[in-house]
Amino acid sequence: MAADVHKKKGWEVPNGSLVPTDGQPMERSESPTPGLVQGTEPGAGQEGGMFVHTRSYEDLTSPEDGDVASRSPEEGRGDQADQTSMAHISKDFSELSTQLTGMALDLEEEMRLSQENEMDLSPQTARRDSARSEKEDEDVTMEAWRMHQKHVFVLSEAGKPVYSRYGSEEALSSTMGVMMALVSFLEAEKNAIRSIHADGYKVVFVRRSPLVLVAMARTRQSEQEIAHELLYIYYQILSLVTWTQLNHIFQQKQNYDLRRLLAGSERITDNLLDLMARDPSFLMGAARSLPMAAGLRDTVSTCLQQAKAKSLVFSILLSRNQLVSLVRRKDQFLHPIDLHLLFNLISSSSSFREGEAWTPICLPKFNSSGFFHAHISYLEQDLCLLLVSTDREDFFTISDCKHRFQERLRKRGVSHALLEALRTPFYSVSQVGIPDLRHFIYKSKSSGLFTSPEIEAPYVSEEEKQRLLELYQYLHSRAHNSSRPLKNIYFTGPSENLLAWVTSAFELYMCYSPLGTKAAAVSAVNKLMKWIRREEDRLFILTPQTY
Amino acid sequence: MSGQRVDVKVVMLGKEYVGKTSLVERYVHNRFLVGPYQNTIGAAFVAKVMSVGGRTVTLGIWDTAGSERYEAMSRIYYRGARAAIVCYDLTDSSSFQRAKFWVTELQNFEENCRIYLCGTKSDLLEEDRKKRGIDFHDVQDYADEIKAELFETSSKTGQSVDELFQKVAEDYVQLMAFQVMTEGEGVDLSQKNSTYFYSCCHH
Ligand SMILES: Nc1nc2c(ncn2[C@@H]2O[C@H](COP(=O)(O)OP(=O)(O)OP(=O)(O)O)[C@@H](O)[C@H]2O)c(=O)[nH]1
Ligand SMILES: [Mg+2]
Repeated sequence: MAADVHKKKGWEVPNGSLVPTDGQPMERSESPTPGLVQGTEPGAGQEGGMFVHTRSYEDLTSPEDGDVASRSPEEGRGDQADQTSMAHISKDFSELSTQLTGMALDLEEEMRLSQENEMDLSPQTARRDSARSEKEDEDVTMEAWRMHQKHVFVLSEAGKPVYSRYGSEEALSSTMGVMMALVSFLEAEKNAIRSIHADGYKVVFVRRSPLVLVAMARTRQSEQEIAHELLYIYYQILSLVTWTQLNHIFQQKQNYDLRRLLAGSERITDNLLDLMARDPSFLMGAARSLPMAAGLRDTVSTCLQQAKAKSLVFSILLSRNQLVSLVRRKDQFLHPIDLHLLFNLISSSSSFREGEAWTPICLPKFNSSGFFHAHISYLEQDLCLLLVSTDREDFFTISDCKHRFQERLRKRGVSHALLEALRTPFYSVSQVGIPDLRHFIYKSKSSGLFTSPEIEAPYVSEEEKQRLLELYQYLHSRAHNSSRPLKNIYFTGPSENLLAWVTSAFELYMCYSPLGTKAAAVSAVNKLMKWIRREEDRLFILTPQTY
Repeated sequence: MSGQRVDVKVVMLGKEYVGKTSLVERYVHNRFLVGPYQNTIGAAFVAKVMSVGGRTVTLGIWDTAGSERYEAMSRIYYRGARAAIVCYDLTDSSSFQRAKFWVTELQNFEENCRIYLCGTKSDLLEEDRKKRGIDFHDVQDYADEIKAELFETSSKTGQSVDELFQKVAEDYVQLMAFQVMTEGEGVDLSQKNSTYFYSCCHH
């Protein structure tokens, strides 16, 4: 991959004065890029944000039980740009998985011998044993199964299957056994993340006791990013059962079959994986806000704010995974991960479209030990209201909040305008007026929100769209590589050029046609930032409200 | 809408996939949705106004999820229910065992809740009698024993669905009339847990 990578120096800063001014508060100014201080960048909320501040996905690795994250000793030692902080084992995993069946113990010993930093699973150390377990379903070995971009498995530490993205967990249980064997010698510590770097495949292990999550990916994502997705899956499971309950269950019975409790939730997890492959929200660790006139949004937010109740913590109005408004209790902040889990829950099931749902939900980043109760209802075809309450007995009170909110919207005469805004959830990149610019993602760090135009030609097919997201993922991983983060990246590819710029206040990713020059791309940054500043009150939620 | 009255709290209980949501869907919207099965998450509430002998009665129906995950929390959904429609799939005997579990649960915690046993998907038996997973007379005996009404419905064809909910509402009206008689004058029933309001449900 041809990446023209710069680290600070050598980067043509479009404006000489853009160097971060440490801690110096700056006024919101007319200047397109008024300093990089968090809180003054385009899109920054006027009275602070709505979310817990997260710098990046690193936050994901902090365990929810309050323990200090125990990291593998290898972490932070890598020195090659391509290498993440995790241990690599270079071996063709697809070969490995067939070899290991039935000889895990043998291998375990050998692994222990070579347990120094980078383990080398050469063909000699991993003895060939092509005899596969009788139980293994034929389908699992089929080419189609192997062709999938990313396999994801969840298992208990006792090796019991919990979830498999493709194919039944039962059929895969011997594969899972192999993974368990691998995990047991890869993992000295709990909460560690390890990966096997295979040719064409990356196999990433995340252990969050009592669960182990494994991904086999052929995507271009970094190990860190794959681990990031696995952690989302872990949080997804917590959101259904809570961390406390999960641990309690496995303390009682080590070989408990968690599928009993998770029955019916596979669809939610499947949806999360699909969503992560096409929605940049997860990559950005931020929420996308639905573009709408600031006045309209403020009125809607006020209506939502007024329809409050004692037990309400968050009132969230959303449309197809885009945030319309979020009102929160003064002292409570939502974590973007929790919001993503809520969005995913809603988008994964059509069962919310009728009546009013009242369901227990754990927001693991907020509090992983207990359940909130969520009132979920659709006000319109694509307008969903989510009211999060602390009191499970409070259904009728919360239901009344919904009615009051609708009543207020009607009285203020904004229902119609709101529906209009829902009809145009995207804007075209052509509005920016930069001919070579095809697409961009801009995230304001202090608000935890990002904006992005509709993905247009030439990214028409699903594959093309996914490819674009993968390019962003690639740039993101380079920009956030924990051992060697890059502030500025210019990437030239055969079909497009990309630019990434990450500061303490914002992140910007731009995609240009391959014909443009680097100089033009860099000067376009300024123009785009100016445009975003001009449009910020439409693209962002500048005045979030509290009860 | 605020303060809309609900006269009868009705809870749908039963193993996952037995067809609780389909039953409510047929009754409230008179339709049967084909397409992939969407398991209920938590529970869904819907109110339906109906008329019984010239009197309007509002049923507040709680369609609960059959998944075991929510079992520990099921009480919040059936607490104070006047009627429980305990569903089992006529073609799946394990779902009848699960129905018995719910009956026991109700007998222990909600004495005042009337139980309506409901065998679902009767259209499947029409296709093939051999599909019946549990003997009709065994169920009838069980229903008699627990003093429950027994229905066999199909949400696909609509068979016996309206009758089921009509019966629930009629029983309520009758019970109210009976209570007014026995408890004498001056009793405000709305204070006696027999009537719920959307806006006054703090405990
Ligand atoms: N043939 C036939 N199929 C039915 C009938 N009722 C429900 N089904 C099917 O059975 C499946 C489950 O129905 P649901 O109504 O979603 O089941 P549920 O009891 O609400 O399930 P949970 O929400 O998971 O507890 C669906 O695929 C329905 O189409 C029926 O009367 N006849
Ligand atoms: Mg259901």
